[in-house]
Amino acid sequence: MTFPTRMTPTRALALLCCALAALFVGWNLVGAVPDALAGALQQQLGEQPEYRTFPVVGSRVAVWVVAQLHLMFAAFVLAVPMFAIIIEFIGYRGGDQRYDDLAYEFTRLLSVSFSFTASLGALLTFFLFILYPGVMDYLLSIFSWTFMLYVGVFFLEAAFLYSYYYGWGKMNKIVHLLLGVGLNIVGIVIIFIADAWLTFMNSPAGIDTSGNLVTIWGAVNNFTWMPINIHRLIANICFGGSIAAAYGAYKFLGAKTPEERAHYDWMGYIGNFIAIIALLPLPFAGYYLGREIYAFSQSLGIALMGGTFSWLFIIQAVLIGNLFLAANYYLWLSMERIHGAERYRKFIKYLLGAITVCFIVWATPHSLVASVEEARAMGGAHHPVLGVLGVMSAKNTAVNILILTTYLSFLFYRRANKEATVSWARTGKAVQFAIFSIAVGIVIFLGIYGYFVEAAVRIGLSVPQVMSVLFAMISIAIIDVFMFKNARVLGPIQWGKIPARAQYTLFFIAITFAWTMALMGYVRSGIRQHWHVYGVMRDTSADAFTPTLGYAANVISVTVLIFFAFIAVVFYLSSLAGKKHEPAAKEVPA
Amino acid sequence: MTALKIFGFTILVAAFYSYVGQMVPQKETYPPEDTEMSADMTTEDLVVAGEELVSGKGTCLGCHTMSGETGGRFPDLANVGAVAGDRKQGMDDVEYLAESLYDPNVFVVEGFLPGMPPASQPPIDLNDREILAVIAYLQSLGGTPTVTLDTELSWQSEDLSESGSSAASATGGGQAATGGPAQTATTSLTGEELFQTYLCGTCHSISEPTPMIGPSLVDVGARLSKAEIYEAVMDPDAAITEGFAPGMMSAQLNATGFYERISSQQLRTLVDFLASMEGGS
Repeated sequence: MTFPTRMTPTRALALLCCALAALFVGWNLVGAVPDALAGALQQQLGEQPEYRTFPVVGSRVAVWVVAQLHLMFAAFVLAVPMFAIIIEFIGYRGGDQRYDDLAYEFTRLLSVSFSFTASLGALLTFFLFILYPGVMDYLLSIFSWTFMLYVGVFFLEAAFLYSYYYGWGKMNKIVHLLLGVGLNIVGIVIIFIADAWLTFMNSPAGIDTSGNLVTIWGAVNNFTWMPINIHRLIANICFGGSIAAAYGAYKFLGAKTPEERAHYDWMGYIGNFIAIIALLPLPFAGYYLGREIYAFSQSLGIALMGGTFSWLFIIQAVLIGNLFLAANYYLWLSMERIHGAERYRKFIKYLLGAITVCFIVWATPHSLVASVEEARAMGGAHHPVLGVLGVMSAKNTAVNILILTTYLSFLFYRRANKEATVSWARTGKAVQFAIFSIAVGIVIFLGIYGYFVEAAVRIGLSVPQVMSVLFAMISIAIIDVFMFKNARVLGPIQWGKIPARAQYTLFFIAITFAWTMALMGYVRSGIRQHWHVYGVMRDTSADAFTPTLGYAANVISVTVLIFFAFIAVVFYLSSLAGKKHEPAAKEVPA
Repeated sequence: MTALKIFGFTILVAAFYSYVGQMVPQKETYPPEDTEMSADMTTEDLVVAGEELVSGKGTCLGCHTMSGETGGRFPDLANVGAVAGDRKQGMDDVEYLAESLYDPNVFVVEGFLPGMPPASQPPIDLNDREILAVIAYLQSLGGTPTVTLDTELSWQSEDLSESGSSAASATGGGQAATGGPAQTATTSLTGEELFQTYLCGTCHSISEPTPMIGPSLVDVGARLSKAEIYEAVMDPDAAITEGFAPGMMSAQLNATGFYERISSQQLRTLVDFLASMEGGS
């Protein structure tokens, strides 16, 4: 077993880059650079302008793209340690070196990614202070010392991350795990601080009617702060898992030996498993966020769901529908490498049918783009039949059924090569079936009931829908764990014996996650429309208008492509890093 | 080869999602435009202005329907002029509608949840005159408008007796004014009028191809995209036409306070006008 033992030029450069970037971020945020810039510009222009223009693409697009790239890398860097430490802990508890190796391989991706994150963060800071000096002045007046705290925590993050990575195998395992815990705590603090700034712009609090600071805690603890914290934490794990899975897929496709293929097949599976497990509760976190947006301002909520951005959620439905479809498809393909899985193949067509129906319902718009003649024929913009499916009652029902269907696919995968040996297996399966059926029944009943009640009641129905799905998933999982304890194994999992299209499915999931993340980042920011800080500070720049969704989609696609170009560099450089040892087929769990 | 395949696949998936983005309705949303309000407006004028405000700056139709249907998230306004006087005991229709706009959560119609933001505060930020216009329009929906600009309401904070014409201010209280240029009577000017108001014609011609102090703008729409025209206005030194000195235009615009005075709406109108100058006529 070998570990990085010396400071290579690449690592030294990465560290230096990170330190400089963090220093730069700090310097910018505390105001030194803006002051210097302001001084220089004031000499030239007489006084500091509210805005400056970025050439060619304009200030908004420049900040938009850089911010999104920074967020994607930050999400990856903050998410990977969360599951890496869990995998490492599993390896430590079970004395299984294979898990330790896997956790290390995930962590290896962090080193280069962290440098990208810091550099993009510095670039974003530069752009914000140069292009939007008025906005940044105001935010500095509100959040003052939290910027300093952020810089300090950022340095701690760098210290923990590199100690965790370079200290692997060179220190006591408990100490190493504690370093990982520290890394995660610091990472969460970073997210929470940055979330305070951005959520304040959407749902400002802690200020008086003139926009002056009253309490900084009030500004931090605004309506959408905690919902965004929770939503981002979960979404980051989804995203991080999917990128790690894409790395596994990339290595699988380039693998030269069956052993390598087996190892990276396993890695891709674990990454995807993490992504999908985190995906399942994500819509619930989304409900919570949406509810708080409405609680803060009905106008903001309606701009989000029923106004300017309502059609954006049709695009989101396509994305999420594709994610669920791809996640299920990958599980079904994965079952081909498991002896005993053939027992469950007959159910796949029904699962596919359910997913397709839910996908169609979710992607049905409330109103249709129609010509005057078509609208006349329909009697309005709502289709007489399909219009019924375009409302939240139908969509909430569809997404909950999608989640349950995906859960069922996973359950089949999990028990594919196992046969329960406990005496109560038959009863257990019957109870599981009953719970599942009742949950589906509740979700569908409440969905239909929503059409017959007032809006105030209808909005509240999503809560029991969500609760019944969560209850079903948790209770069925608990029964499953006990029911398949000491189960008879019908055959080993033949890692590596999976078609290449499964690996492209992993890429598809990663790209779709990235695109979804960028789209939702856009809408979170975009619902403020012509406000920098909603209801407090108006956007008077030339970019105060909201662009078309097609334009936004193009910006998002370009951003996603740049991100994956950078990620390709990360994958390549990570591959160059010292390998611990060659993986062997026998080292992959059955 | 594998790397190329992955690269191609990534582009394909991103392009697919871009395509999905083009398939939904495409609409740019601009900040609400101000409604011209003058001190001599009659009740009928207020109704017309109110209708414009309800669907524009007031953003009322984002939440309320006007179709007569029930079951929406907020009360339907189709017949509100007829029922407003009976909604709340001790209040006539004007007072009720005024309270609903200034302090909407004091009384919430049965079957609905509170949540409407005060129309007099940001982000809606209607001024007292605009609110009177909205009330007049709402009265007209099934009732008889009675409101004039002399109607006094206990919520009003402005002295409405000021004479003269004024455009509705885009800036609200406090920080809403930050970066918000003062809205003057230039609010509803056309692009050509803005061109003259901001003295662009001192240096640029829009009728002759001959350059003056600055290049002729007769065919600027054919030479530059809208984005480039924006840039040329907001950052004149970013790209200088050959033969002209840098720094002059920015110095001139700063000296005249152009950047402080022009609003985003005016800028858009001005740029649209310049973009239409293609030298064809």
